[in-house]
Amino acid sequence: MPENDEKTVPVKCRVCAQPMHTPVVCDYCHAIGDAAELTDYFTMLGVPQRFDLDTDELSRQFVALSRHAHPDFHVSDSPEVQQLSLRVSSTLNDAYRTLKDPATRGAYLLELLGGKSSARDKSVPDGFLDTMMMMQEELADAKTGGDRGELDRLATVLATQHDGLMRRLSGLFAEHQQSLGCEAIRRGLLDEIRKQLNAVSYVRKLQSQLP
Amino acid sequence: MAEQFILGIDLGTTNSLSAYMTDAGPVVVRDAGAAALVPSVIAFGEGNRVSVGSEARDHAVENPLSTVYSVKRLMGKGLADVREDMEFLPYPIVEGANDTVRVNVAGALMTPQELSAVILREVKARAEAALGRRIDRAVITVPAYFDDAQRQATRDAGRIAGLEVCRIVNEPTAAALAYGLDLSGRKGDEQGDVATVAVYDFGGGTFDISILRVSGGVFQVLSTDGDTHLGGDDLDRELIDMVTSEVRQRYGQGIEFPPATRQALRLLAEATKVRLSQQEAATIQIDLGDGRSFERVVNREEFEAWASKWVDHTIEHCRAAMKAAGVTPDDIDEVVMVGGSTRIPLVQRRVAEVFGRVPYTAINPEEVVAMGAAVQAGILMGMQRDTLLLDVTPLSLGIETLGGAMGKLIMRNSTVPCQASEAFTTYVDGQTSVDINILQGERELAGDCRSLGKFQLAGIPPMPAGMPRINVTFLIDANGILNVSARELKSGQASSVQITPAHGLTRAEVEQMVKDSYAHAIEDMTAHRLIDLRNEAARILTAIEKALASAGCVLGDEQRKHLDAAVAMLKAKADGDDPDELWAAMEAANDAAGPLTQAQMDEVLRKTAVGRKLDEI
Repeated sequence: MPENDEKTVPVKCRVCAQPMHTPVVCDYCHAIGDAAELTDYFTMLGVPQRFDLDTDELSRQFVALSRHAHPDFHVSDSPEVQQLSLRVSSTLNDAYRTLKDPATRGAYLLELLGGKSSARDKSVPDGFLDTMMMMQEELADAKTGGDRGELDRLATVLATQHDGLMRRLSGLFAEHQQSLGCEAIRRGLLDEIRKQLNAVSYVRKLQSQLP
Repeated sequence: MAEQFILGIDLGTTNSLSAYMTDAGPVVVRDAGAAALVPSVIAFGEGNRVSVGSEARDHAVENPLSTVYSVKRLMGKGLADVREDMEFLPYPIVEGANDTVRVNVAGALMTPQELSAVILREVKARAEAALGRRIDRAVITVPAYFDDAQRQATRDAGRIAGLEVCRIVNEPTAAALAYGLDLSGRKGDEQGDVATVAVYDFGGGTFDISILRVSGGVFQVLSTDGDTHLGGDDLDRELIDMVTSEVRQRYGQGIEFPPATRQALRLLAEATKVRLSQQEAATIQIDLGDGRSFERVVNREEFEAWASKWVDHTIEHCRAAMKAAGVTPDDIDEVVMVGGSTRIPLVQRRVAEVFGRVPYTAINPEEVVAMGAAVQAGILMGMQRDTLLLDVTPLSLGIETLGGAMGKLIMRNSTVPCQASEAFTTYVDGQTSVDINILQGERELAGDCRSLGKFQLAGIPPMPAGMPRINVTFLIDANGILNVSARELKSGQASSVQITPAHGLTRAEVEQMVKDSYAHAIEDMTAHRLIDLRNEAARILTAIEKALASAGCVLGDEQRKHLDAAVAMLKAKADGDDPDELWAAMEAANDAAGPLTQAQMDEVLRKTAVGRKLDEI
């Protein structure tokens, strides 16, 4: 992620030189912006940089921007604009895909805030692995036994686990946003967020094994 | 907008057709007899005569070895992929370069791309005749589950046919576009205009299922699943297998089925299948020669028992697509049926069962894809700014990593266009190129996925091992086709990417085919022009003869000599076969006849003038 101190300075449209509110499309002349790939996904989609997002607004923004950036609308343009449309549109698709799902959104935001990646820190909350291993066995047994009722019960338990982790993440991100002071506290919060996100991956892996 | 015109083409396994966009919506191109479907069949006759469509299909039995059909099954495939098909295709298929196949047509080896181009050219010619305009741009549809090689092959076929392929669009998505606002408008509940739609597309050779969210002109594909090797052809084979095994029971295991009989059987099986969709029973009757014949009544129940396992496969794909989209049957607001095979009652019953609702079939399932292609063409022409189509890539894309595993870079069902980057380095000091094996598929091992070919990053500045950092960007465009670019970060140089496609044609090969096809087009045009010019020459000669008879006296000796020479020259050139020389001779004769024509004009004017005066008195 490039460090971007100039993010607050409004970008100017490459065609009409008006300031741009989102780096994807110019509000005045509807030209595609050439700085879209340099900004973060939140700025790109014009939504606040936080974990709790209004996903309906996110969708609306994505569609509104795609209506200008998508290659379908640039077939008769110059090859340069066609290439720009292709690159911006694919970055926009990636941005939407990342922010739509709270798990990938959380991981992305954590990276922006300077937290550790899952490759660097694989730890999970205390006692979590034991619970998962137990459930893994129960799931395997229920699958071999074809026990419909037990499978439904496990599905419900996993969904509850998932919801709990999401609530915890939401709380941790909010706490981080408000804790302006001590760097050590902020660091601790980011490490805790990493653990919760790792736990989400485990739960999702089990969920994908449900028939 | 004249040059902007884009035709929508459905290039099908069994039938092809086209449609175009108007202000009132998409319109299907039909011939004088109102028929829209062009059977995707090519017959190569005596003296290089090529026929396409119904005529070709009707001669399939007489010329089994030189009648080519179901060529879509061969697109972007290698010989190993089509072994199973070869048993049922009477025309000879051989191996081509880069693990591709060629069809041996009377000694000439033709690629599936060239054969598809023959069909496309016919569809294009029909549209040109119907619309009275030249067409050089098109949107062509492909099964949603087509991989990169199959999509590239389709685009190359378009190019060979003289078409700029502006977009490759997925068939089920096209169908959803054709239904358009009907899909979200029919719900009429509080939620307004958001609808979740399943498009079940069971064609002649392929099966697709796509789940879309349709809302206020936005068509967003959530997931797609399918099998590019599952279609109505498979149901025909069940009937063919039944007949051959029963014939052998009756007349002995040794009985042979020559190509002509196999073609006849195939057409018979297809007709029987179609009849069983309308009737409870159909009779199969076949003459086996030597006084032997076979007759058998097939009832619908029997047919459904054979067809069942194939329909079951399609239902499994439906469940997988719903799971991938994160929806349950209860979430599906509408089911749309596409493809000829959806006329089969068993298919309709099973689809209604799995989605818990009766499928919506307002538009002819065999024309809906072409209409959707026309809608997409309309979007590209700027006629429909309010429609936004967001499609997905059907297969995950990755690279072969150390140890032969598949390292995924782009997950299937990602909205296109999409891109991923990966850094590569060298293993040996001074190494200047790196090979990458790019894969498509969902399996864990590289060997189980489809290789898109070898990509070689060349032009890396010589450095110690591990020093260069080559950043490679894999971009899947809106056609679902991969574009690869590379940059060496240390030197900032763009590295060149050399591509040797697996199951495909190199750029040079495509260019050559485009040229060959263009050369043929010139030959064809020359022949056509010569005929037109000869007719015109005959008209001129007659006119001069007449004028000489009535006004020959006005010419001086020199003028007369000059005209006689020009007439003789024109007669000679009309018997020749150079259109340009004939054209020059016509011009010369017209010039030489100038004084004669002038005299005739004066005569006419004088008579008219006199006449008028008389009238006015």
